[in-house]
Amino acid sequence: MALSKEVYKEFEDVVGEENICDDPAIMPSYYSTEFAAVILPKDTAEVQAIVKLCNKHKLQFRPICTGWTGVFPKGIILLDLRRMNHIIEINEKNMYAVVEPYVISAELQAELMKRGLNFCIKGAGTNCSALLRGHGHMDQTTSGDDRNHLAIEWVTPEGDIVKSGSLGSSDEWYCGDGPGPSIRSILTSAVPPGVTPGVFTKAAMKLYHWPGPARFPIVGKSPKYTLSEIPPNMMARYFSFPSVEKMWQAELKIGESEIAYELMGFNAAMVACNITTCNEEEEEVFGRISKEVQGPGFFIIIAGNSPEDFEFKKKVLQKIISDADGRSLKSVENPETEGILLCQCIRISASIRETFRAGGAFNSIPVMGQRDLTIKWAIGAGKAKEPLIKKGFIVDDGGAFFGWGVEQGHLGKTEIFCKFDPLNAEAKAAVEGWQKEQSKRALKERYFANTLASDDEVEHEIGPSLSNYHLWWRKLRAAIDPNGVTPGGGALV
Amino acid sequence: MALEQYHGDMKMCCRCSACKFIPMQRVKGADYSYVCPSISRYKFHSYSGGGRVNIGAAMLEKGFNYTDKLLHIVYNCQMCGACDISCKYAMDMEVLLPINEFRIKCVEDGHTHPALDKVINSLRKQGTMVPGARGKRAAWAEGLGLKDATKEKVEVYYHVGCLASYDKDMQKLAKATVKILKKAGVNFGIGYENETCCGGRAFQMGYKEDFLNQARKNMEMLKKAGVKTLVTGCADGYQAFKVLYDKYNLKGDLEVLHITELMARLIKEGKLKLNKKVNLNVTYHDPCYLGRLGEPWIHWEGKKVPGDRFVFDPPKTYRRGTHGVYEPPRDVLKSIPGVKLAEMTRIKEYSWCCGAGGGVNESNPEFAEWTAQKRIEEAVSTGAEAIVSACPWCEKTFNEAIKESESSLKVHDIVELVEKAI
Repeated sequence: MALSKEVYKEFEDVVGEENICDDPAIMPSYYSTEFAAVILPKDTAEVQAIVKLCNKHKLQFRPICTGWTGVFPKGIILLDLRRMNHIIEINEKNMYAVVEPYVISAELQAELMKRGLNFCIKGAGTNCSALLRGHGHMDQTTSGDDRNHLAIEWVTPEGDIVKSGSLGSSDEWYCGDGPGPSIRSILTSAVPPGVTPGVFTKAAMKLYHWPGPARFPIVGKSPKYTLSEIPPNMMARYFSFPSVEKMWQAELKIGESEIAYELMGFNAAMVACNITTCNEEEEEVFGRISKEVQGPGFFIIIAGNSPEDFEFKKKVLQKIISDADGRSLKSVENPETEGILLCQCIRISASIRETFRAGGAFNSIPVMGQRDLTIKWAIGAGKAKEPLIKKGFIVDDGGAFFGWGVEQGHLGKTEIFCKFDPLNAEAKAAVEGWQKEQSKRALKERYFANTLASDDEVEHEIGPSLSNYHLWWRKLRAAIDPNGVTPGGGALV
Repeated sequence: MALEQYHGDMKMCCRCSACKFIPMQRVKGADYSYVCPSISRYKFHSYSGGGRVNIGAAMLEKGFNYTDKLLHIVYNCQMCGACDISCKYAMDMEVLLPINEFRIKCVEDGHTHPALDKVINSLRKQGTMVPGARGKRAAWAEGLGLKDATKEKVEVYYHVGCLASYDKDMQKLAKATVKILKKAGVNFGIGYENETCCGGRAFQMGYKEDFLNQARKNMEMLKKAGVKTLVTGCADGYQAFKVLYDKYNLKGDLEVLHITELMARLIKEGKLKLNKKVNLNVTYHDPCYLGRLGEPWIHWEGKKVPGDRFVFDPPKTYRRGTHGVYEPPRDVLKSIPGVKLAEMTRIKEYSWCCGAGGGVNESNPEFAEWTAQKRIEEAVSTGAEAIVSACPWCEKTFNEAIKESESSLKVHDIVELVEKAI
């Protein structure tokens, strides 16, 4: 749906000629959707003005950050937040950082590491917005989800500016819940279709202590960066276990003893992706590592605040691993490989290798919940991948899943995905079928409800089984978006 | 290969935006994290490497719709290849090659840029990429008593390049190079009026046929003269002779060296002695076509193996910028007494472009200068007194940007510093 010249001019007056475009040539670069226009606001005031115009003309809009994912109906206005890329404040004393949506995690983390701080980078990767909420490799230290959002500046679907938590009462960003209005349930609603409508224009992210170096000593050329030395008091290992139960017990004890800087339940295929520089090498290394591991496992980073602290943590780790009959993967003990993983898994710079490199696409079922329960479900989902692997539809990763304990480990993230060639229609259909079946099984066998399921499933199965949350959410949306200018779905990546 | 042959590569793009930034592990903070001048200046995703390949894939599928905006996107790219390298840290796919093919298709379809047409006319008439060039190509060499490599046998053929031949401000680089080669006792010669443009810049601009004409002319002359080793001080020329000529099976056994490689070799062998002190704090700018795009061409032909993975039979080895010319210029700088080298944030395979590439210095001088300005700022942040490059195009673009900004930073080509040290 093209904008009239008059309406286009109204938007142009807000952002300037250079920052609005409705030329069909640019549309495929965004998504396979024809947008009415793509607009690049530079600050909150411009976002607000655009949103008000959308309400005035009853035009739907959606914002994106780096723009990895999202659902975009045809004819809507796309707000590309590319120009809003400033770190507003790093408050070392109160341990928070205020960022605009297009600050990527790599930028913020690099600034933080210089100050002995770190934050939760989401598993999607360090190339994504630092403002994104979710889970990541460092959840044992940084926790995840809405715990890391403090005060937020939000332009509502009607164009009002809402400042949550402490920001609402004192211009301070240190808390999301008060003093001042806490609207956490709306601003950080857990799952689609509950993705917050409107635009986050600034958010304060919680910071954590970083015991490592101000900068990793990286040497070498892309695509193989290594560390010239392992930073003091740091260690990375991969342990495999004879059974899922033993792995889970070790994971739990590590969480309870609070010794891990990072615990990431990679499977062997993901380790292979991380340490290799191309698909052929990955296939070969996966074959080799698969023979080395005795069963499921996890990757762990220990980081001591002092040599004594480091020694203590290593001893605790040794005892826990020994009790669970764990075995260290020799390949990772090689200092070069250890260095690659150490840096990559703190900087979260290889998510693309793990997901897109092999085939070009992946479909996933991620779930946050009680870790032992979701692991049990994932074993079945992994077995269900085997026929697809045999048919050559998906990449052979041994049918594995992955995940990690959050904080002390009782809660955790479990995820399983299929990597495939998106141009292969048969493979795509098979993967979507697998996804649907495993979601249904999760609900039927009472493991969890996959809220990333299709609209139809949410409407008829998932929603009704979860206190009809979808109906409540719709009412909420109707209240905050009376003109219906914010289409549902998608994520702000 | 035509654009169609990169359809699979273009469809691999997952819009992760890695192509906009330096490789993630190399990001050192909020400053100097971007690597692509085009997305940094024009901001719409369409100007990024990912945006460009997604447009390419869509137009292959749905037809080519040449709008003014599309052509603005196409011609406002320095073809510096930074997006390609950042993408290939994690992905197995081509980025720069399809972008280049898209531009070639624009030219073939008649959708050219008037400023670039002017440059190409100059190339066709005078064999140079310097529009308005007057006089003889080798006028700068008068009185120097240099050998004519087309008439007598020499060990090394010095290809001077368009800018160092015709641009009065850049002829000093040709003279410095001659002085260095003489001092090291190299038996070398030049082509005088038989030298012609390498064609590399024409290729970047999308004029493939003009490039091929130049390449054929050059190789015919070099073969006739029995040249075994060619050296040049121009990064574009280096990449053309070494990489592009090889890509189109025109290079044969010709050994191609950049002057920094030859100087590093001569210093190591004790044939070139740098004795005089040059007290200067410098930072080094890696020219794109010497660095990441200067790595050898890899001949490969194959087909995708049917199935789940994006792999080929025979396996494909990607050019990822790993093997560019990075150390020789640094080794030379470190050999000059008194020179202190401080590195910028964006170096080697993830270096920021000077702004001149892809014809942008002609099609959009404001954008070229903007790009150079960003590099100047980065160079100043190191505390260096001078930015040193190894390509006359870089020096020219930096000088123009400095003139506008009134920065006190000096600009040198590496041969100028070596000349001072001998």
